[in-house]
Amino acid sequence: MTTFTAKRRNSNNSDSAISVFISKQLPEIIPPTIAIVVFLVIWQVFSLIAGTLPGPIQVVQETWELILYPFYDRGGIDKGLFWQIFASLQRVAISYTLAAIVGIGLGILIGVNQTMSKALDPLFQLLRTVPPLAWVPISLAALRQNEPAALFVIFITSLWPILINTAVGVKEIPNDYNNVAKVLQLSQKEYFLNILIPAALPYIFTGLRISIGLAWLAIIAAEIVMSGIVGIGFFIWDAYQANKVSEVILALVYIGVVGLILDKLMAWLQNRILPQQK
Amino acid sequence: MSIFVGVDQVDKIFELTGGGQYIALKGIDLQIKKGEFVSLIGHSGCGKSTLLNMIAGLDLPTEGLVTLEGQRIKKPGPDRMVVFQNYSLLPWRTVRENIALAVDSVLHGMPAAERKAIIDRHIDMVGLRPHADKQPGMLSGGQKQRVAIARALAIRPKLLLLDEPFGALDALTRGNLQEQLMQICEENQVTAVMVTHDVDEAVLLSDRIVMLTNGPESKIGDILEVDIPRPRKRMEVVKHPSYYSLRSEMIYFLNQQKRIKKIRARKTAAVVRHGLEKVNLEIGFLPITACAPLAIAKEKGFFIKHGLDEVNLVRESSWRGIVDGITGGYLDAAQMPSGMPMWLSLGGNKNQPLPVVTALTMTRNGNAITLAKRFYDEGVHSLSDFKNYLLKTREQTHRMGVVHPASMHNLLLRYWLAAGGIDPDSDVVMKNIPPAQMVVDLKGGTIDGYSVGEPWNYRAAVEGSGFTIATDLEVWLGHPGKVLGVREDWAETYPNTHIALTKALLEACQYCADPANAQEIRQILASQEYVSTDIEYIQLEDPNNATCDLNHPMREYAHHQFYSESAINRPSRTEQIWIMTQLARWGDTPFPRNWVEIVERVCRVRVFSTAARELGLDISYTRQPIQLFDGKPFNADDPIAYLNDLEIKRDFSIAEVILDAPRRTAA
Repeated sequence: MTTFTAKRRNSNNSDSAISVFISKQLPEIIPPTIAIVVFLVIWQVFSLIAGTLPGPIQVVQETWELILYPFYDRGGIDKGLFWQIFASLQRVAISYTLAAIVGIGLGILIGVNQTMSKALDPLFQLLRTVPPLAWVPISLAALRQNEPAALFVIFITSLWPILINTAVGVKEIPNDYNNVAKVLQLSQKEYFLNILIPAALPYIFTGLRISIGLAWLAIIAAEIVMSGIVGIGFFIWDAYQANKVSEVILALVYIGVVGLILDKLMAWLQNRILPQQK
Repeated sequence: MSIFVGVDQVDKIFELTGGGQYIALKGIDLQIKKGEFVSLIGHSGCGKSTLLNMIAGLDLPTEGLVTLEGQRIKKPGPDRMVVFQNYSLLPWRTVRENIALAVDSVLHGMPAAERKAIIDRHIDMVGLRPHADKQPGMLSGGQKQRVAIARALAIRPKLLLLDEPFGALDALTRGNLQEQLMQICEENQVTAVMVTHDVDEAVLLSDRIVMLTNGPESKIGDILEVDIPRPRKRMEVVKHPSYYSLRSEMIYFLNQQKRIKKIRARKTAAVVRHGLEKVNLEIGFLPITACAPLAIAKEKGFFIKHGLDEVNLVRESSWRGIVDGITGGYLDAAQMPSGMPMWLSLGGNKNQPLPVVTALTMTRNGNAITLAKRFYDEGVHSLSDFKNYLLKTREQTHRMGVVHPASMHNLLLRYWLAAGGIDPDSDVVMKNIPPAQMVVDLKGGTIDGYSVGEPWNYRAAVEGSGFTIATDLEVWLGHPGKVLGVREDWAETYPNTHIALTKALLEACQYCADPANAQEIRQILASQEYVSTDIEYIQLEDPNNATCDLNHPMREYAHHQFYSESAINRPSRTEQIWIMTQLARWGDTPFPRNWVEIVERVCRVRVFSTAARELGLDISYTRQPIQLFDGKPFNADDPIAYLNDLEIKRDFSIAEVILDAPRRTAA
C-alpha cells in the first residue's frame, strides 16, 4: 500500500518529490555523517599525538594517485585498486556460488533425511568452527597452487552457514504444510518445488547473507598469506612490506565499503525474492 | 442408510519419550452416515483432534480400524480433505494459487480450462473474488479460513474434516462463516466431521454431537442427536425448544468431565478414624428445602458428633448429577428422590442394574403440582377441570416438568394425572428439568406446569407465574420425599460408617422437626451454599397453618415432615414396592419377578434400627397401608395384581432382575 501511494506522488510532481525525499532522508543521513566526522577528527588528533600512524589528511595526500586512478594496469601485480578488488570479487563469486550450491544441496539432504542428519551433524559442527586462516596451510599443502587454494578457503568458510541454515529451514517446515502435502498426495517433485523450497527459503537466505560476509572476510585472509597474486588482500600485504601504511588504510576502507555493498546486495535480493510474509 | 465412515474399536496409544505409554483413546466406536454433519466435542487433550487425524489418515490407530465406504484408511488422501485449525495456507502463494495447487494435483486428469473453472467457482463461492490474487498474509483470519474451506471443497472430497475451524476467529466473523459453511454443506451434500469446543457451534451445525470424555483413555461419553430442522438460521435455532436442553446437556457433560478430572487428581483414600471405616465423605445434594437434614447435620455438627470429621457436601444442580456421582463412585452418599435407589437397582440408568440401598427416609411431603397462572385464569381449578381443558385443546402440546424419572414428583404427577383420566405420556409431554430451573421455564412458557419439591411451587405462587393445583394433601399425604442413598457395595465396605451417617442424619431430622429451630434452619437453607434463595420462600411450618393470603387461593401446603416418633424415617418396604409398581407402570424399568429379594436389598431396615437404637430413640413402627387420594387400595403382598388393575399404564414387562452378589470392594 505504502509503495503504491509513494509511486503516485512521484509521478504527479517529480520536482518536489526529490526535495521531499531528501528532507525525509535527512534524519537518516545527519547522525552517521556527524559520527564519521567526529571519528576522523579523533583519528587526526591521535595521529598528531602518537605519530605512529598517518592521520586521515596524510592518508588522502599520500594515496591521492591511487584514489584518482583505480583502473591503471602496469602488468604483473601492479594494478589499480579497482582491478585488485575485482580480482578478489571474482574469487569470491566463484567460491561462493559453489558453496551455495553444495550448501543448499547438502542442507536439504540433512533436513529431509533423519539418518543423514544424525550421521553428518557432528562432523559439520566440528568443521564449521575452524577459522578461515587455519584452512590456508591445509589447502596450500593439498592443492599446491595459490589460486585454487584461495578459492577453497573461501568455499569452506562460506559453506557452513548456508548448509546449517538450509538444514534447519527444511526441518522447521511447519507440520501444517506437510499435512497439506500429505492430504493432497503431492508427488515428490511437487512437494519439493511447492512446499519445501518456498518454506525453507527464508532460512536459506539468512545463511546466504551470513556467508557472503564470511566469504569476503576469508578472501582477505587467504590473499594476505598467498603471495604473488592480484587481489586486495595481497595488495595490503605488499603495501605493508613497502611500509606504505597510508595505502593499507585506504585498502581497509575499500574492503569495508565492498563488504557493506555485498551485504546490502544480498538483503535487497532477499527482499525481492521472498514474499512479505506475516 | 449404510455406514459411510466407520470407526471400529479404535485405540490410540502414544509412546512417550520417557519410555512410558499414553493411552489417548480407548474403544472408540462411531458410525457416520453419508451427508451427516458430526461434531466431536470435549475438553482439550481429550483426543478429539487425534480421532479426526485418524479419519484423515494423518495418524493411524494403534488398535481397531477406520474405514471410509468399507475401505480401510491407511494414509491421508484428497477424498478426506482437512480444514486445519490454523488454515495451513501456503503464504508464498496467492489465494488462487493455493486453491490451484490442490485442484491441479488432485484433479490432474481434467482439462486445464475445467480446472480453472472449478477454481474460480470456489473462489466465488466463498466470496473472495476481489482478493483472489492476494497472498494469505494480506487477508484477515476469516478470509483465510474461507480460502481453506474453498480449497478443501474444490477438490470434491467425499468427506470434509474440520479441526476447530472457527476457533481463532472473532464472534461476528465466526457466526457468518458458520452460516456459510452450513449453506455450502447443504447445497453440496457434504459429509463432515468437525472438532470444536464451542457448544453453540456444535448445536448449530451438527446432526449429531459426539462427546468425548477426558483423557487418558478417552472414550465416547454420549452422542446427542440434534433434532432441529434444516435449513437452520443462527438466530432462529436459539428459539427451538431443543436448543437449550441440548446445550445444557453438553455443558453438563463438560462440567462433569472437569469435575471427574479434579476428583481423580484429589487423594480419595478412605480415612479410617474413631472405629469408622471412612470419615471423609462426599455427599451429594440438590438445592431444595428437603436438603435440610444434610445442611443441619453439617452446620450443627451432627456429622462430627458421630465421628464423620471430614464430610463434604457437594451441591449438584440436577438429579442426574447425583446419578452420575453415585454410579461413577465419586459420591459416597447422596440425597435421593425416594424412587431413585429402586430405579438404579432395577437398571433404570442405561439399563445397567446398580444395587443402591437406603437406610433412611429423610423427608416426607413437601411437594406439589403447579400449573401456569393462565390455566387458573381460564378456570382450571381442579384435576377434572384440567382434563377437560386438555380435551378442549388437543391440538396444543402441553409440557409438564418433572425433575427425574425416578423422583416422587414424576411418579406422583403421573399417578395424579392418570387417576384423573389423563395419560401422562400421550396427553401431555413430560420433560426432565432441574428443580431450580422450573420457575424460569414456567415463566418463559416452555412448560405449562410441573411437579417439584419446595420451595419452587411456593415461589411460583408468590411470584404469580403459577398456582398450586394440588399439594401432597391432595395426592398422597405423607409420601416419602427424599431418602439417603448409598451404593450397596459401599454399604458393605463401610458398614459402621453407614450406621454413623444414618445416626447423624436421623438426629439432624429430629432437629429439623422442632418448630423452635425453624427460623435458624430457614436461615441456613437460604444461604449461598444451600438453596441460595430468598428466605421468604423457605417454609417449614406445620401444615395446619395457612400460609398466605394472596388474591388467588393459596393451598394449604403439606410442608416437609422430617421426623416423628411414628417411624416416618424408617425405610418402608411397602413404599418401595409401590415405587416398583409405578416404575414398571410407566415403562421405566421392568417389574422384577424377584421383587421380594430386591426390596429386601434396597431397604436397609436393620441399619436404620441400629442407628435409632444407638441414638436411644423410641421409635414404634406399625405397618400401615398406603393411602392415595383416589382411594385405590394397594396390596403390597400382590403388586402384580395391583399393576394389572391400573387402567392407564404402559406395556410393562416382568423380568428377573439379576443384581451382583453383595460384595465388599477392596477399599
